[in-house]
Amino acid sequence: MRFSVRLDGVLHRMATINPLLVSLDIKSSDRVVSIKENGNVDSNFVITHLIKQILGDGNRMCFVILHNTLGHYQNVGKRLGYDFLKQIEEGRIRTIEPLKDIVEDIGNETNYFVDDKEQVVKGLFKSIKSTMEELVEAGSSRVYLVIDDISHLLDLGIDLKYIISFINYCLSLINDERISVVINTHVCSKSDEIICNNLNYVSDVVIEVMPLKTGVSREVTGLLNIEKSGKEQVTQFHFKAYDKGIKTFHLGESVYNLYK
Amino acid sequence: MEKPSRGSFNIPGTVINGQNAQLLTSTGISSVDSILGGGLPVGTVTIIEEDIYGSHAKIMLDYFLAEGIVNDHSTLVASLDMNPYNIIKNLPAVIHNDPEESTISSDSIQDDKMRIAFRYQNLPTSDKDSHNIGHYFDLSKTMSLADIENSDICYWNGQRIENGTSMFANPAYNELLKAVKEKIKEGKFFLKDNPSKRNVLRVGIHSLGSPMWLPSRDSYHLMNESRDLDMFIFCLRALVRSAFAVAVITIPTHLYHENSLDRCIHSSDIAMRLQTFSGTELENNFSLSDYHGFFHLTKLAAINSFASKHPGSIEYVFKLRRKKFHIEKLHLPPDLQEVGSSNSTPPSIACGSSNKHLLEF
Repeated sequence: MRFSVRLDGVLHRMATINPLLVSLDIKSSDRVVSIKENGNVDSNFVITHLIKQILGDGNRMCFVILHNTLGHYQNVGKRLGYDFLKQIEEGRIRTIEPLKDIVEDIGNETNYFVDDKEQVVKGLFKSIKSTMEELVEAGSSRVYLVIDDISHLLDLGIDLKYIISFINYCLSLINDERISVVINTHVCSKSDEIICNNLNYVSDVVIEVMPLKTGVSREVTGLLNIEKSGKEQVTQFHFKAYDKGIKTFHLGESVYNLYK
Repeated sequence: MEKPSRGSFNIPGTVINGQNAQLLTSTGISSVDSILGGGLPVGTVTIIEEDIYGSHAKIMLDYFLAEGIVNDHSTLVASLDMNPYNIIKNLPAVIHNDPEESTISSDSIQDDKMRIAFRYQNLPTSDKDSHNIGHYFDLSKTMSLADIENSDICYWNGQRIENGTSMFANPAYNELLKAVKEKIKEGKFFLKDNPSKRNVLRVGIHSLGSPMWLPSRDSYHLMNESRDLDMFIFCLRALVRSAFAVAVITIPTHLYHENSLDRCIHSSDIAMRLQTFSGTELENNFSLSDYHGFFHLTKLAAINSFASKHPGSIEYVFKLRRKKFHIEKLHLPPDLQEVGSSNSTPPSIACGSSNKHLLEF
């Protein structure tokens, strides 16, 4: 008993040691987290770090993969200190991979390739819902729904209204006290922006990842805006992506970072 | 792609990047390979936004395909603008050493012994060759027909189009996806397949989204800028990700609205853009006279890693020689004479006078 308490403490400390997670400061009371990716900057690291936190806290998650592959998460996960595939085996992560199913559907006009796009969204939500229910029943920990890049639904030819209602359905899941939702969106067109704004409106935390306005810099990869509902102030960070991890610093602090 | 963890696959023309667990293959242009951090990761989709005349983008595609044929990779070529067989027939011939490197190095080899840093005497002066997987090609000659006939090439010219699904406004996109999938299945390129000998499929698509790809008049969909294109790229990426395949697509983006391709770029892994000087006012720019155009690297996705290998705010230019298509960093020449003198002296008809060096008199 005593050992497990100590282990929990260690795990917790491990999660908090990560500088990005400290900067993000997402608490379990933040039920809806949306990540907005602008331009050509990559916000995937936010999700992979949040996964670290979710697993570190001993929670479970349902992961909907639309942008990157399992192999990517496995490789990045190893750098952050978790074994993605092993977690899947142990049932702490369940994945739904439209990216894989699409391959099957090409030439068959089934599932994702049917003409009635409402069916596509409904089908996807049904599988999410059943997975979430199974995860909730499996234990007493919190359960997260993580969707990597919901804007790809647009690329499947799904109308905006169906995507919005899909988001609404997903958010209805948080009626269960133990469920939280993390959704990543990419913004580059008008329709993307509508999806994103709708999502931001209902989010507890909005994490916005932006490229630098002035172009590209060697010391700073991009800008990180964290907006929490109820607080008017937006927290801003600069971040630098390294091969092995992310460093964050307050605006203007990156210069000191060079001398470290 | 993604996880070449089970030892090495030993596919000719590929190399494993241990750091990110990626299988890399060459674009056929060594300077592009080095900008991309070694080559194209297998399982990715690359978009090349064409220059106005489309000729330089076509050359990059030619290199990509020729490199595949030299390495005995399987190939799928698709185009609606020209006969894909002609693309293959006119691929450049391979030459076995770098045409420019050799002349330079033969000049610069110094016989004198190093007296101070003698330990470094026998070290190679450049480390380029050690991890170079690509070949060099002579654009003035075409590849021998025997080589072409011996390789596994699939041509797609969109002749056989059935009106199946209405997901795409133009069924040709759907047909091409089917053809790629068919080829992957037939050649056992899927990650889950277990063929006796692993190989890589190269998919080259020329001028995707050109006016030849416009939807037929009786389609239900409105002309929604690049809706078909977005869907196609997304589905193609899903397909290529699940297989030992790598795709290069050229798109005439100047025919579209300025930002309508952003979603395509988001769905792709690598995006680059060519911008020629010819026909624009840059053509007469003195400091750019050595080059043929700008090369912009719009996107380089971070796969299996946090940080993209994107080199940052470096400006690249390309030049086309008979035996080499080369990309290098743009360095503006020192501002010595030309700008000042050309402004002060009235333009004279006599040639050569304005080019006179300051030190010449």
